Amino acid sequence: MRHRSVLGIASRLGSGIALLLVAGALPWLSQRDPAASVLRARYAELEPTPEALAAIRAELGLDGGPVVTSIRWWSGVLRGDLGTSWVSGAEIGPGAWSALGVSVTLTAFAGVVALAIAAAIVTPAVLRVLRDRPQRGSGPVGVALTALPEFLLASTLLVVVAVQLQLLPPYGWTGLHTAILPALSLGIPAGGLLGRLLADAVAGVTEERWVNVWLLAGARHGVLLVGVLRRAAAAVVDQLGLVLIGLLGGAVAVEQVFAIPGLGRYLLGAANAQDLPALQAGVLLMALAAVLVGVVAGLARRALRGGPLPPGALPPPPERRGDDRAARWTVGIALSLLLLILALGLPRDPYTLAHERLAPPSGELPFGADASGRDLLARVAHGTLGTLLPSVGIVLLAVVVALLLAVLGEIARGPAEIANATPPILAGVIIAALLGPSVGGAALAVLWVTWPPLTAHAAALIDEASAMPHIRWLPLAGVSRFEIWVRHVLPATIPPLLRHGMLRLPGVALALAALGFLGLGAQPPLPEWGLLLAEGIDYVERAPWTTVAPAVALILTSVLAVAVAGIRGNRGNGKGSRRSVAAVRAQVGSREPA
Amino acid sequence: MSASPTLTIAGVTAVHGRGAQARATLAATSLDIRPGESVAVVGRSGAGKSTLADITLGLRTPAAGRVLVGGTEWCTPSGRPSRARRHLVQGVPQDPLAAFVPRWTLRRSIEQAVRRLTGEHDTESRVRRAAELAQLDLGLLDRRPTEVSGGQAQRAAIVRAIAPGPAVLVADEPTSALDAGTADAVSAALLSVTQELDISLLLVTHDPSVAERCTRTLTITAPR
Repeated sequence: MRHRSVLGIASRLGSGIALLLVAGALPWLSQRDPAASVLRARYAELEPTPEALAAIRAELGLDGGPVVTSIRWWSGVLRGDLGTSWVSGAEIGPGAWSALGVSVTLTAFAGVVALAIAAAIVTPAVLRVLRDRPQRGSGPVGVALTALPEFLLASTLLVVVAVQLQLLPPYGWTGLHTAILPALSLGIPAGGLLGRLLADAVAGVTEERWVNVWLLAGARHGVLLVGVLRRAAAAVVDQLGLVLIGLLGGAVAVEQVFAIPGLGRYLLGAANAQDLPALQAGVLLMALAAVLVGVVAGLARRALRGGPLPPGALPPPPERRGDDRAARWTVGIALSLLLLILALGLPRDPYTLAHERLAPPSGELPFGADASGRDLLARVAHGTLGTLLPSVGIVLLAVVVALLLAVLGEIARGPAEIANATPPILAGVIIAALLGPSVGGAALAVLWVTWPPLTAHAAALIDEASAMPHIRWLPLAGVSRFEIWVRHVLPATIPPLLRHGMLRLPGVALALAALGFLGLGAQPPLPEWGLLLAEGIDYVERAPWTTVAPAVALILTSVLAVAVAGIRGNRGNGKGSRRSVAAVRAQVGSREPA
Repeated sequence: MSASPTLTIAGVTAVHGRGAQARATLAATSLDIRPGESVAVVGRSGAGKSTLADITLGLRTPAAGRVLVGGTEWCTPSGRPSRARRHLVQGVPQDPLAAFVPRWTLRRSIEQAVRRLTGEHDTESRVRRAAELAQLDLGLLDRRPTEVSGGQAQRAAIVRAIAPGPAVLVADEPTSALDAGTADAVSAALLSVTQELDISLLLVTHDPSVAERCTRTLTITAPR
């Protein structure tokens, strides 16, 4: 095991140094880079690729640029000097640190909310274990909670609780009462995800033989409960750090909606103002938090699993069996509703300003009109394609990357931890600063944050599959290692990984939408969900349909994705599964127009 | 007893883990088995019986010593068996399900093994003869491993093991999961098959009555 940990440390060190260099050299890498400016001025037709930039830098004698810039900045940081703002000329340090403090406090509150929600989702699954009636999966509640977009939730809470009911202040950061709504907005989706993962793990664990043995041996409920939860937590602990980091970073939109002076809003402000020293400080603080979370998650895993295990020590959970009637119904309903929106909306024109501004829903305009008088049904339908197609591409690409990197194991550990710690919005901010805001840049940013959890999961799945007795024995049948991989380990790995990826599809679509929402992705007048929501949010009080329309499409899509993945998870399990897949195909076919 | 040994195990040891966590799991073991002979390996739990079986099968490498099959190196600290000789040593696992791909029929797993290990495309005669020897109804081969009884699955595992024509068979407590009557029948089938085919059998067992029916018994003790 020793060489693995050495690799892991080397990988972390290497990526750490790379990150330090890049972080320090951000001003040099940015659009304000003299080389990039020269490139744009002289060779307008050239793409600002790294190669082209390098050529110009060599021509201008700027070769030493990034390292010198970086070293100068880091020597400042080591003296406790985060530099001065390009915009205000003021010291950066105090503002950045207080922003970090605010974000950490908010994250802690949100964490409490998330744990409460997760506990509420897991409890029924656990109670069923005690009654010896285990159930597969986490049910629709978890799906619904996972599907809620943070900024939509935040805006809804803002409008309903703060503006209409006037129970809590709508914005600011002046005490506990101002933290409640933001903590709910952040904590509910995170708790939904955590609860789902745990409930799935609990359901899987209860099919392991030892649970029956314990039950038959008359183990007390408390003892059994602790055993089941511990085993389930060991399977989920890898995701816990990711959820925490997601909280810290995903706070940007929430901080923006509630006008909270946290790190996310600080970064966004710095990016919008092209204040690169401030951006650097924010990136640095995010990285510190990430390292901390990585260490804590590692310790938790060690405590739960008792250190590195020999291969085969952790028995693979048995394959999923059983009843996917509910999933099939969900797929049928969600898909037909989405297809209905697409079928009705695609032929309509999403760009023409042909209607009354903010016209309410009517027979002619089923979803109403937006603030410019454009048909919302058309915009949502076109936005569905505009958001979903890139998202599916990102997920599939991330699954491929995850499978490739899972093989590298510890070597990918360092980049994975850094990517884990990068909220999509931060990646979006940096990429937008380097390449300018675009759909491609946003997709790249989202891919960068999508691969690590899938890689961690893929590595665990591969470990489990390789430890399965019949796979361990395949060499005896003369099956080569490569073939064992391709025909036995990967087929056991890909369905759950796809399921996981599909579980993330709404998250990916949301991350894309969030970047669009913050102006870092698709640009107006493109019909894209994030933009639609951003355009709608200003009018959410007067014309709620402006946000309801894209939100409904988004929630339908996430429910659909999870349900479809649930059916796929049963594949390769004999006759029953083939029947169900065929049934879905028939169902899908019968509802597809034309 | 005049034939030279098919299986030679010379001073094989095993270590689990690396560095500070390393722990010896098998004390130095040596043994010869000639064609048609059967050796029962007995010893307490943790003595390294299954480790010895895994090393003999070539599923893991020894820390020291070597395993020879037909006088040629089979498994050493630095190398696992080559694919061309893979058919020489086959095994019957403790849990027969380990011998079969769960989503395939028994026949498909067996035929894949025969095809890969012998290079022959016509597997039918080998499978039929192996099933006859193991006294398994051929019709059962069209079921999946979970669709037959434990005794039938273990007989199918024997079919899978002998069909490629091995010189050595390693059986790791092949009857520990079966009831007494079925266990007796399966052990008897295993012993008669190996004698019939002149196979050297390394049989890990807890059952003294089975050990008695073998040519010899090797008792191993846990390493210190």
